[in-house]
Amino acid sequence: MSQSTIKESSSKSIDLKKALSRIKRSIWVFHINTGSCNGCDIEILDVLTPYFDVERFGIKLVVSPRHADLALLTGPVTIKTFSKVYRALSAMPRPRFVLAIGSCAVGGNIWFESYSTMGGFPKVLEMFSEMGLEIDGVVYVPGCPARPEAIIYGAATLLGLQKPKTVYRRFKA
Amino acid sequence: MVKFLKIIPIAVKTGTVTIKYPYQEPLVTDSFRGAIEIDPNKCVGCGACTRICPPKALTLTTESNTMILRYFVGRCIFCGMCADTCPEKAIKITKEFELATGNIYDLYSDVEHEVKTCSICGKTFTSKKLSNKIASKVPDIPTETMDLCPDCRRKETLKKFIGVPEQ
Repeated sequence: MSQSTIKESSSKSIDLKKALSRIKRSIWVFHINTGSCNGCDIEILDVLTPYFDVERFGIKLVVSPRHADLALLTGPVTIKTFSKVYRALSAMPRPRFVLAIGSCAVGGNIWFESYSTMGGFPKVLEMFSEMGLEIDGVVYVPGCPARPEAIIYGAATLLGLQKPKTVYRRFKA
Repeated sequence: MVKFLKIIPIAVKTGTVTIKYPYQEPLVTDSFRGAIEIDPNKCVGCGACTRICPPKALTLTTESNTMILRYFVGRCIFCGMCADTCPEKAIKITKEFELATGNIYDLYSDVEHEVKTCSICGKTFTSKKLSNKIASKVPDIPTETMDLCPDCRRKETLKKFIGVPEQ
């Protein structure tokens, strides 16, 4: 948690704003399950139903990553799905965004040090940048599973409708 | 055509079901568990929560002269076992679930503890707060071994019984 990492992250958020301004139309989403337990997938389905109706924000589910601006990524990214995730994300046109949903995608959950998973999307993101795949913006949505409201909140954070509440805190006991 | 028109009175009767979530209060029940909150005044740094936490979202690490209890919300599964285990009742379960952020470092929160060093070997072994707590609770605690780490304490106690080995 050094000063350089905080500076880097703040410069990243400026990049996110720039990239977002390049999207002029509604955001279309593509759903990738990377070895999730289906809990988060059911919640994503819930978000798309008329009760939570995420189409209010123009978000629409598409079946091909080539049509999508945003990938809804669930699961801890297992070794088997890693190459598929790479292919799906590289098929998306720039600017490409990722919404990492659930504690598996954010921090790896109970599988964070397992031999068969990559341990969450942040670790995969580092590998992608080494492999030359650029991702313009990532929003992390914790929750096990993430509530439909939490997913809507994450999407609203990405679209710039709301400011994120959580900040890094350090207390002295 | 006529069959399709049947849906109109049903739709009129039901009305709009869509919630206006970001512009409306979310439905949160009493039994809902969200992110935890550690009270830094009550926490003694015993590490009971780090041992019970299934995904190790709570970790206890030592950085030079401070002990840090780190909570990573991104890995938390909101089971609430830490709040049940905490002997000081320092951990409280809140109903916070709007945790989405674009920066992964925002999901961490740290509690710093002052650390006690062994007077013989200079190793760090426990927080000052926990040591003081034990000293105040246990009535006849041997004060001369309170500043020693577990290894040195064992050696010192043995020396008392056996004596210093001849070289």
